[in-house]
Amino acid sequence: MSAGPLFDARNLTKRFQGLTSVDRVSFSVSAGEILALIGPNGAGKTTLVNLISGMLAADDGELRFEDRRIDHLPPFRRARLGIGRSFQVMKPFPSLTVLDNVAVGALFGRRGGARSRTAAREQAHELLTFTGLGLHADRRADALGGPDRKRLELAKALALRPKLLLLDEVMAGLNAVEIDEVVAVIKRIRDSGVTLLIVEHVMKAVRILADRVIVLHHGEVIAQGDCATVFEDPRVIEAYLGKRRN
Amino acid sequence: MRRPWVIAFVAVTTVAIALVPVFGSAVLIQYGINALIFATLAQSWNIIGGYTGYASFGNSVFFGLGAYGTAIAMTQFGLPFWAGLPLGALLGVLCALLLGLPVLRLRGHYFAIATLGLSLAVAAILSNLEIAGANIGLILPLTRADGMFFELALALLVACVLCVWWISRSRFGMGLIAIREDEDAAAAMGINTTLYKTAALMLAALFTSIAGGIYAYWITFIDPASAFDPTLNVRMVIMAMFGGPGTVLGPVAGALVLSAVYEVLANWISTAAALLFGLVIVLSVIFMPRGLFALIGGIRRHGPGYLLQNVRQHRL
Amino acid sequence: MLLAQIIVNGLLLGGLYGLMALGMALVWGVLNIVNLAHGAFIMLGGYAVYFLFSELGIDPFLALPLAMAAMFVFGYLLQLLVLNQIVRSAMLNTLLITFGLDVVLTYLAQLLFTADFRTIAPSYAGANFTFLGVTVPGIRLAAFAVAWLLAGIMWLVLSRLPLGRAIRATAQNLTAARLYGVNPRQLYAVTFGIGAALAGASGGLYGMIGHLSPYIGVPLTAQSFVIAVIGGLDNPFSVILAGLVIGMAESLAALYLGPTYANVISFGLLVVILVLRPARALRSA
Repeated sequence: MSAGPLFDARNLTKRFQGLTSVDRVSFSVSAGEILALIGPNGAGKTTLVNLISGMLAADDGELRFEDRRIDHLPPFRRARLGIGRSFQVMKPFPSLTVLDNVAVGALFGRRGGARSRTAAREQAHELLTFTGLGLHADRRADALGGPDRKRLELAKALALRPKLLLLDEVMAGLNAVEIDEVVAVIKRIRDSGVTLLIVEHVMKAVRILADRVIVLHHGEVIAQGDCATVFEDPRVIEAYLGKRRN
Repeated sequence: MRRPWVIAFVAVTTVAIALVPVFGSAVLIQYGINALIFATLAQSWNIIGGYTGYASFGNSVFFGLGAYGTAIAMTQFGLPFWAGLPLGALLGVLCALLLGLPVLRLRGHYFAIATLGLSLAVAAILSNLEIAGANIGLILPLTRADGMFFELALALLVACVLCVWWISRSRFGMGLIAIREDEDAAAAMGINTTLYKTAALMLAALFTSIAGGIYAYWITFIDPASAFDPTLNVRMVIMAMFGGPGTVLGPVAGALVLSAVYEVLANWISTAAALLFGLVIVLSVIFMPRGLFALIGGIRRHGPGYLLQNVRQHRL
Repeated sequence: MLLAQIIVNGLLLGGLYGLMALGMALVWGVLNIVNLAHGAFIMLGGYAVYFLFSELGIDPFLALPLAMAAMFVFGYLLQLLVLNQIVRSAMLNTLLITFGLDVVLTYLAQLLFTADFRTIAPSYAGANFTFLGVTVPGIRLAAFAVAWLLAGIMWLVLSRLPLGRAIRATAQNLTAARLYGVNPRQLYAVTFGIGAALAGASGGLYGMIGHLSPYIGVPLTAQSFVIAVIGGLDNPFSVILAGLVIGMAESLAALYLGPTYANVISFGLLVVILVLRPARALRSA
């Protein structure tokens, strides 16, 4: 086990046809912590998640996971190394059952995953109970409602037995009660030893969960630190609310 | 398909079919060989189209390569059939590997037509090679043994069905299905999508090219037009779709039913048979877009109104 | 000079190819339907012009608008009554149903018209111009002109007329277009009708240059597809230009490699382009 951070990004840059979506972003994530990534819409948060999980290739910069460079690895290899993610626009496998959706992750997850469908399905059952979907195991995934789809995204990502879990706006569209439930699940995930990087707009959840916060604006990191420091930072307030008029 | 009576039914039917050469007429045996070969084509298409979700319209290239590989080995190099057939299969599988890698990066319509284009291009190239008899074609050694060809075709079909059955229960198959359902999510969950897609195409190519080799030896004469017949593609896809893609027995049932329908129509009204066949295709796409098995299941659960339900779901 | 002649031939033919592909590109771009029966529409249009000429003595170029009108009605009804029923089904199903239609139309044509080759040969068929040492057949030049004319009309319709705006809106976002009062069933039917009319026109022209038979459909469908992919689904002129490219490529290939390689060139080009320019193709259709 290396003594350095679990995950490290240095000078990460991504450009799309003239627009710099992620601009020399550097940060690291230590094992066991919850790091929140916040910022106004269009700041580049989802692009950053796509760069980390491998769906996009960076134009510049380095990505290290457990002290190995992962820049040139395709998404499936990063998944097998232990980087899991949920998708902001949810991507269930529509005609498979909820159980099988999760079983896929168990079959192919870290270090290759389970070897048989039966073992994978058992693991899937446990995960469904863990995320509160136990009763829906045999329903078709496209028959689930909104909050349940979120839980399914979580369960699928967990099935990989990830070391680092990237959650992309998993609280979006939930009401207060549902938010509390998901916060509880995330705490359980952290307690089970998984490191989390969460992209969020729901500040209540960020305050409760985050050990550290990074603020992204126009693709650049404008503040890093614990919640209290970051939320008082005038640059952060200006980014969200605009310039102060005197 | 774990219910024991289904397995028993399939086993009994297979044995019954295997006995056709013993009791059936020469015409029935010939029809049977054709139907069995088509069933294999539909079932192998099922691997790449039904399970992996990559609807290829160019599998005829593997059929043709299998046919030509076998024919060239036997006529130009004097090899026996049992050596020629694996060579033809090797040709088909290699083609799947080499051409599959670039083409599998495409999706949807583009993949379908790129595969069609590839099959036409390979056919055109082969029609210019002297070793393949150019446009004149090749004549293989004559062996009058329709019974043997029948059993051979049946054995190939059984092997193909067993392969698909294995896919439906294995980790590999789960990966293919995940790719079909959502390829990006599948990659994010640790599936090596490039490897799996290519492997699926190579498997489909294997069975298709062996079928081509058997066909070539049986029919004794092949030329680019017959070996690489572009209508083969749509016919095998329709048979698989008619029966039910992504199921173990659907494409086989679809192929056997549609072959029978075509034979009946051809005997009854001859030229109009093709016309009516086209109408059958149009109607079945409208009323049973997910295949025969899904239709039967749907009617059993929801009654005959299920037919209209399909239309209501898919109409503008 | 032989090379110049080949190039001119290729360009002239390519213009017609582009016109053939125009209808397919329109339907594909707006309805997301790849019409495997497109070649059959070309064939039918050709026969329509043939019979208008041989039975009623109407000059083929004058018969073109009549054939186009007939094909429009045919395509309109086909979309309204049959294809609208499966539009929201999986992509594969639209391919299969149009294939079924192609089978039906081809065999109907065989029953009604027999398999004999037909040529549309008006009295001026053999007229040639000679320009800088190159022989330019009059009819091919006229066909080339008609192709550009129709593309121009398409462009005007799409960019200036309310109908064209409705079509473009529907192509981009069906739901939003509905909210603005577009009747999707009508619009789809009209668009498909236009596509059929364009195919019919190209068929009539083709009948004057080559020969008609019930079986010319499939290769023309495949070729139109290649041209539509290369030219893109947005701009009528780029489709014609793509047709010129293919026409040239085939001419040159026939000269240097032999006639059978023409097919290989088109499809090889298609595969190479699709693989090298994946951006459009990777969006699932």
